[in-house]
Amino acid sequence: MYYLRTTFQYALTLLIALAANFFLPRLAPGDPINALLGADVVENMSAEQIAQVAMELGINDPLPIQFWHYLIGIFTGDFGNSIKLGMPVWDALIQKLPWTLLLMGFALVISTLIGTVLGVLSAWKRGEFADIATMGTVLFIGSLPPFWLAMMLIILFSTTLGWLPSFGAYQIGTSFPSWDWFVGVGKRMLMPVAGLAIVQTTSVLLIARSSMQMALDQDYIMFARAKGVSEGAIFFKHAFRNALLPLYTHTMMGLGALIGGSLIIETVFSYPGLGGLIVQGVNSRDYPLLQGLFVITTISIIAANFITDLLYPLIDPRTRRAR
Amino acid sequence: MYRTIVRAACASALALCLVASPMAHDAALHANPAAGNGSPHTASGILSAINNDGPKTADHLRIGIWNTAANITTYTIGNSWNDWVLYLALDKLLEPSPYMSQGRSWLATEVVQVSEDARVWEAEIRQGVKWHDGTEMTAEDVVFTYNLYLNGPANRWTHHVSDVPRIEQIELISPTRVRFTAPRPMPNFDLVTAPELPIMQKKQWEGVEDPRTLTEPVIGTGPYKLVDYKADEYYHFVAHEDFWGGAPTVKELTLVMIKDPQTIFAALKSGEIDAAARALPPEMVDQWRNDPAIEIAQAPSLWGTWMQMNLNDPVFNNRDLRYALSVAVDADELVERVMLGRAQSGKHGWPHLDSTWTKPGLEVGYDTELAMTGLDTLGFRDTDGDGFRDLPDGTPFDWRIVVSTNQPLYVRAAEVMVEQFAQIGIRTHVEAVDQATFNSLTTDGNYEFSISEITPHGLADQDQYMQFYSGAQMKKLLETEPERLALYNQWWEADSRDARQDAHFALQEYELNYPSRFMLWYPDGLFAYRWQSYDNYVSSFGYGIFHKYSFLPEAGRIGTSESIDQLIEE
Repeated sequence: MYYLRTTFQYALTLLIALAANFFLPRLAPGDPINALLGADVVENMSAEQIAQVAMELGINDPLPIQFWHYLIGIFTGDFGNSIKLGMPVWDALIQKLPWTLLLMGFALVISTLIGTVLGVLSAWKRGEFADIATMGTVLFIGSLPPFWLAMMLIILFSTTLGWLPSFGAYQIGTSFPSWDWFVGVGKRMLMPVAGLAIVQTTSVLLIARSSMQMALDQDYIMFARAKGVSEGAIFFKHAFRNALLPLYTHTMMGLGALIGGSLIIETVFSYPGLGGLIVQGVNSRDYPLLQGLFVITTISIIAANFITDLLYPLIDPRTRRAR
Repeated sequence: MYRTIVRAACASALALCLVASPMAHDAALHANPAAGNGSPHTASGILSAINNDGPKTADHLRIGIWNTAANITTYTIGNSWNDWVLYLALDKLLEPSPYMSQGRSWLATEVVQVSEDARVWEAEIRQGVKWHDGTEMTAEDVVFTYNLYLNGPANRWTHHVSDVPRIEQIELISPTRVRFTAPRPMPNFDLVTAPELPIMQKKQWEGVEDPRTLTEPVIGTGPYKLVDYKADEYYHFVAHEDFWGGAPTVKELTLVMIKDPQTIFAALKSGEIDAAARALPPEMVDQWRNDPAIEIAQAPSLWGTWMQMNLNDPVFNNRDLRYALSVAVDADELVERVMLGRAQSGKHGWPHLDSTWTKPGLEVGYDTELAMTGLDTLGFRDTDGDGFRDLPDGTPFDWRIVVSTNQPLYVRAAEVMVEQFAQIGIRTHVEAVDQATFNSLTTDGNYEFSISEITPHGLADQDQYMQFYSGAQMKKLLETEPERLALYNQWWEADSRDARQDAHFALQEYELNYPSRFMLWYPDGLFAYRWQSYDNYVSSFGYGIFHKYSFLPEAGRIGTSESIDQLIEE
């Protein structure tokens, strides 16, 4: 019954999210014609000419008709053509998706590992110099604006030292799977991944520290210590295991959000991922492109939530009993 | 003072040249296309401390671009930032652009007026020109292209055939000759239309149902063949071996997309790209002028920044109010404070100061006393004692100046304008919004003032100026200002280039007195490149230094460009 109810809830959420994906871009001011023809040209077109272009782009159909086409498109995998890029939305998504997964995936793994380690150690050493120094440093770095951080990385490692390329995801002119291609990809990943990981580590650290701290404050920890259990066993067996649940949730949510990419980091580094595509879609009010992007982002986040929910009972038996 | 005298002299010389030049539309005109712009106000040359002498040819150049050229067709490039990318692959009947005083023969060996009333023109199509796929270009391709622009989906180019001028018939009158017929005179056909519209291959396009969705590399006759691209990432061109004008000076061009302004110049500085096809911010000139690896060039780009009023608002449909406000705009101050002196003052109005069809000597004087007298006369007085004027019916107001957040210079300019208008008692405030919202507000008429850029397409092209009157706001002015309407009609009826020019000069004078927009400045075109990679760029009006002529041999550059190989002393 629980699984049935959960499935129904997620299906309903998906439907509402899909409707929001369709209507929200259209509620925002602006339309794609400006981006396609140029604002100075559109401004001087007659109403009839503008209507003609809108008809060609399929954006002057009544909204219910457009919505119907959109739903059909989702179920048939046809998101239409990007107005600005002049190519099928699906092709654009497939082209950019691997880069976003690579970038965000590495950043997620690195930030989760570093944030977890630093967070639990910080909680373990609560109130000591190591805790205060770690918290202060990470909070300071984490509060830096990502675009500023990215620019500083470029100025240091590209412009000043000349060690790393400042833009793109691969060396243009090389092809997969040559050695040069891999080297190019690796070099170009370093700064964006570092930028993202630095920013994300802060939140992981705070969650890890807080949940570890809560675990360490529990009576069973005191009881274990009273029993004479070793500190190592208390750390790993009793405290850390119980602190894992919030970290697991955070990591799964991060997995779901992978698809959305990073708008700022991808833009600054001209990284060809979905984040940059979202910026482009929003700037040009490219409805088909935005719809395609939001649909796959929505589905991935909802799927990650769904899987997280389903796996909770396996991770923490207490939630099984609660249900 | 000296500069003013020099400018005035240049302007007078230009006027004399324009008046004295024969307007014969014969083949000779196109065969010897020396640039006829006179001395531009924005000089071409090198701003770096040293004018280096680098290689004149190159095997491969990487140039950063910042705005997507989509799939490089006329149906997906909607602006004048990247049309030069399209023109690497596609040619026009005459070249280089509508921004010169005359065109040079290109795909047409001649474009001639055949009816006295300038309604009928003919183009003789060059023979032996090869498309990138090796087939020969024919007059049928030209007929097909012009018909597609006339009857197909609208794009940034089509109004030059379907509106100003409106061509009625495009026909093949011999295997090599095409005739164009319009219901009204089109004496600027060879000046604007022919050098504006790129010719497309009939074979590639005739079966395409929706031209906006063509994704295969476009086939053109231009000096560069597009071999590979990923829209939004890069465009890879190789020299077109059979280009009729000779082998290009650079064998391969890779244009890479770098959207962020800081990153594109960082990439240039670090040597990852050889040139940045984006206007260099004025504050970077002093930073980079002594850089041994980078050369900074200045070239007339014919761009401008203007302040528009919402003419749909009845308040602004009052020419005397617009005049009063216009004399309160201190364009010189904007140039100094916002552009750090690296622009020409917008006080000369519209069109661009360096445009070939600008009436010399026009200038709106900055005079706050005159502005205040005008506002008093119109009834805009401070009735509630708050230090700001109210509408004639006593209603207080606070007009918005809308700007796009992606244009920091314009936000700064808007703040200066708030101060300038406050000096005459007009209360305004700045509203910075994202670009798409900005476009929406301005096209929907949901604003009082806006500050934006105007490209050469709108600022240096006589036909485009008239195209503005197709828009709802400018149409309104025609309805309410009989003098403007008379001048507008006079332009349309003019059947010779001289008559068109006279009519246009009269319109410009009227526009300066009763402006529909306030020109703020015309930026100096500033560009940066690594001279050790390639040092053979030339300036072309409206394009700065990034355009196909910078990569053509000498013969291909004649009449299209001017050398930038000189130091500009500051």
